[in-house]
Amino acid sequence: MYPRWLWPAFALPGVVWLLILFVLPFYAVVGVAFGSVDPILLTAVPAWNPAQWNFGWVTQVLTELQPGGIYWDVFVRTLEYVLLSLAGCVLIGYPVAYYISRHASRTKSLLLILLVLPFWISYLMRMLAWINLLSPGGYAERFLSATHINDLLFHLGVVSDPNNYLGGESFTVIIALIYGYIPYFILPLYASLDRIDRSHLEAARDLGASPWRAFLHVTLPLSRTGLLGGAVLIVLPMFGDYYTPNIVSGAPTTSMIGNQIDLYFHGGPQPTIGAAITILLSLFLVLLMGYYMWTIHRASRDLPA
Amino acid sequence: MHPKERRLGATRRDFLMRSGGAALALSGAGSFLAACSNSTTTGGGATSGGNPNANNPLGLPLARPNVPVTIPLYEQPIASGMKPETGGDFTIFNYPDYIDPAVMKAFGKKYGVTVKVTPFDDINSGITKLASGTVQPDVTEMTPDNIARVVAAKLIKPLNLDYIPNLQKNVWPSLVDPFYDKGSHYSVPYTVYTTGILYRTDFVKEDIPSLTPNPWDIFWQAQAYKGKTALLSEVRETIAMALLHRGDKDINTEDPAKINQAVKDLQELYNICNVKVGDLQYSTVAERKAYLNQAWSGDAISGYLFYADKESKQALRFWNPGNGNGPIQNDMWSICSTTKKPVLAHLWLNWILDNTQGYNNFLNYNGYQPPLTEVDPGQLVKKGILPETLSDTVLTAADLGPTSLQEMTLTTQGQQLWQNGYSQFLSGA
Repeated sequence: MYPRWLWPAFALPGVVWLLILFVLPFYAVVGVAFGSVDPILLTAVPAWNPAQWNFGWVTQVLTELQPGGIYWDVFVRTLEYVLLSLAGCVLIGYPVAYYISRHASRTKSLLLILLVLPFWISYLMRMLAWINLLSPGGYAERFLSATHINDLLFHLGVVSDPNNYLGGESFTVIIALIYGYIPYFILPLYASLDRIDRSHLEAARDLGASPWRAFLHVTLPLSRTGLLGGAVLIVLPMFGDYYTPNIVSGAPTTSMIGNQIDLYFHGGPQPTIGAAITILLSLFLVLLMGYYMWTIHRASRDLPA
Repeated sequence: MHPKERRLGATRRDFLMRSGGAALALSGAGSFLAACSNSTTTGGGATSGGNPNANNPLGLPLARPNVPVTIPLYEQPIASGMKPETGGDFTIFNYPDYIDPAVMKAFGKKYGVTVKVTPFDDINSGITKLASGTVQPDVTEMTPDNIARVVAAKLIKPLNLDYIPNLQKNVWPSLVDPFYDKGSHYSVPYTVYTTGILYRTDFVKEDIPSLTPNPWDIFWQAQAYKGKTALLSEVRETIAMALLHRGDKDINTEDPAKINQAVKDLQELYNICNVKVGDLQYSTVAERKAYLNQAWSGDAISGYLFYADKESKQALRFWNPGNGNGPIQNDMWSICSTTKKPVLAHLWLNWILDNTQGYNNFLNYNGYQPPLTEVDPGQLVKKGILPETLSDTVLTAADLGPTSLQEMTLTTQGQQLWQNGYSQFLSGA
């Protein structure tokens, strides 16, 4: 027989990894948010001991995060961008993942490789590519112009200038976010769809369900964990993103909450505010993560034995 | 930031947004400076901006062009007449790609060392690294608004100017004995630049220099250039521009009402031209991605020399606000306390102030001009290096002086005020 400690020991590397690369850095951010600033060097002086925490910075940020505060509008904008990007990822990503898992028999490996391919190129480089694509005369801009999609977008009020997608458009930022994060969404969703037992679908069809109803009542519910997993994977980093709006827009009217964190962390006398925004944002994201965990738990509980 | 750095999307001039700060340095170094208060000198007249009483209780005022400050020596400089150290590495702490490799190579060859660059992203992170001891360079790039705090933390060493004859020989008189470091106890100048407007005459129809009452107003009349108009993404520069737009030259103000008004003015630009912020103006304007951009004079030169095509070279213009009407700044070199080659470090400072080296660094690589008397705008035009239309991008010694506008150190409260104001503008609300 194996000793009792053997199997738990397998978790040790992961636990150490989490401790070193997540718990400690996060606690450092907490320490900064509740700490002070070095009077000479203007660098953060973390308060490691909770008994010595200074709650002033967090309270200040909390106040400014309320309606009418400095961070309220940018937080709402970030939420809108993330939700719209998520919707875009679902609309584009679900059919792709569905097709690969259900209908791509011989080409499945190739398609999966193609899905992973963007990971070979850095996110920054992929975003920079959009600069050329969307510039006047760029391929994407020419396509949108030739197909009159740009006119449609303009008349619908989606863009304010149909010939200048890089002129500070929310549309461009959302498209860039979708493009940048969609592979992270599709892969877990594909894995989830691929695991669905086809006999469930066959049973639904045998019982008279149309293909659409079979999808709606069998496939979709069974892929919910994959959908949520993919959503969590992209929503968390999107909330902290600041370089995507910087690269494809640059306008304050399209900035995200991550730009505020970047501003305060990168210099000046208030790194504590950057840390305070970070931990309050983290608390919000913990709620999302909590919902995901609860859903997973419920799904596993409901699984037939 | 040198264009080669900024091409990657980083920002050298972030230090303007990210620093300030010597006020705290001064307050933190209070005991040290108070002990040396006899060596602090102040000029006459009112301070040009900010709180005139700031840090007086600590014995050292905030440096301003009309309030020169002598930073006391915390130790004696090295003795004169020593031979330079040879062999091994000589490490320069600097922004990436802010110095011509050929200039470094020639120095290494002359003195028998291997010159290496340890880069930092911005001056604040550089100072943090110096303080933590994670880097131990021989010389470092520095800025006037940070010099007091790095001296307070004893991160840089006093200079023996006997080793740096080029300072007296080649440099503009106003920077031989600069107001922020009287007697050049700790620094020598490196580059100088002013903040103005870079624009393209093939798209911008207004004659910006002739705009009345104030050329800065062009940003508030830029409806035709929506999405093609940008400001520097810098706390100090952006808000200072809004102050100047209202004719307020107190660009070191700590008056909340003035800052609030400036931020409100900046927020008007959302609807007028959906203004952008960034630090890529040297290329975006030259490459037609922007038509109208707040910019540094070095950007205009870099854009012209390194990025513009033939058509753009003819279209590029830079409005220089002129002495006393727009911000003017300079970068510096200092010797790190960690140096193991102090004599050679002095010789580096002398090397960079050599006319030939400075000239090559400027026109072959950097684009930001050194404050050397030999750099003459007229000559640059005559030699065909710059066109007549861009001749006023090159500054002269007359541009610096007691009436010049320089973004200098604020108190901690002042820095917070400015940073929070910029945060409000950046929020897009």
